[in-house]
Amino acid sequence: MKEPINFKNITIKELASVIAAKFEEHEIDSVLVGGACVSIYSKNRYESYDLDYVTHEDMKKIVPALKELNFQKKGKYFVHPECPYFIDFVSPPVAIGDEPVEEFEEFPTSLGHIKMLSPTDSIKDRLASYYYWGDSESLQQAIDIYSEVSQKINLDELKRWSKKEKFSNKYKAFLKGIGQL
Amino acid sequence: MLEPLFGNKNIEKIFFFLIINKKCYGTQLSRIFDQALSPFQNSLDRLESGGILVSFLEGRVRNYQFNPRYPFLKELLKLIEKAYQFLPEELKHEYYEHRERRRPRKKGKPL
Repeated sequence: MKEPINFKNITIKELASVIAAKFEEHEIDSVLVGGACVSIYSKNRYESYDLDYVTHEDMKKIVPALKELNFQKKGKYFVHPECPYFIDFVSPPVAIGDEPVEEFEEFPTSLGHIKMLSPTDSIKDRLASYYYWGDSESLQQAIDIYSEVSQKINLDELKRWSKKEKFSNKYKAFLKGIGQL
Repeated sequence: MLEPLFGNKNIEKIFFFLIINKKCYGTQLSRIFDQALSPFQNSLDRLESGGILVSFLEGRVRNYQFNPRYPFLKELLKLIEKAYQFLPEELKHEYYEHRERRRPRKKGKPL
């Protein structure tokens, strides 16, 4: 018999895989973005409590799917009576700066795959917050991702993108943080 | 002018206000346009939810500004700037360009 899900002590990665499996069951295409990706890639060096999804699906399709997991819409978010995490849906498209994101990571889990930003795009997403708002926490999160999955990071792409966004100077702070400058 | 596109006159006002003044808050718009607060607040919420605006708490005031990470921002600004040129001068001065004092003024100094 299938064990009931312990939402009280679930990790963000486990929850993302439970949601991914539920969305697949309901044929809902979505992409996990934002802080949850940072948590997963950085192995919780940074702990996010929200799971942000981008989808083109209608909410009419999403609400019943999440209801099956006992997540109910409360204001702008979906919350569970026992779960510390909440779910949000961000307006499409998936974009970083003015570039659309077209390739995603299919992160393997015991329940299937989590469709999410790639580690390189997740770093771009954090660096964008650092570039535009000077948010040093975001810079640290970008460094945390690199520290855990450096072999998956395309530094040439990060350099190209930072230059295009006109933040080559601020990119140096990231390079310094990862010991490459 | 852009109301048919945005489906809401307040959205146009917010956009025009922001291209000139860079940031705004709900009660400020309500005061300047002499209209109820909640329609402006609802529009600001809607634009923030859509990722077009972002907000920051400054003291007790929630200030809104264009989201530099909105992927269509460049194109949207071009459209708003173009439409703003067509706005009658008196409306520009009355609502968007007469702005409140920004330079410093010592606390307690008479006006």
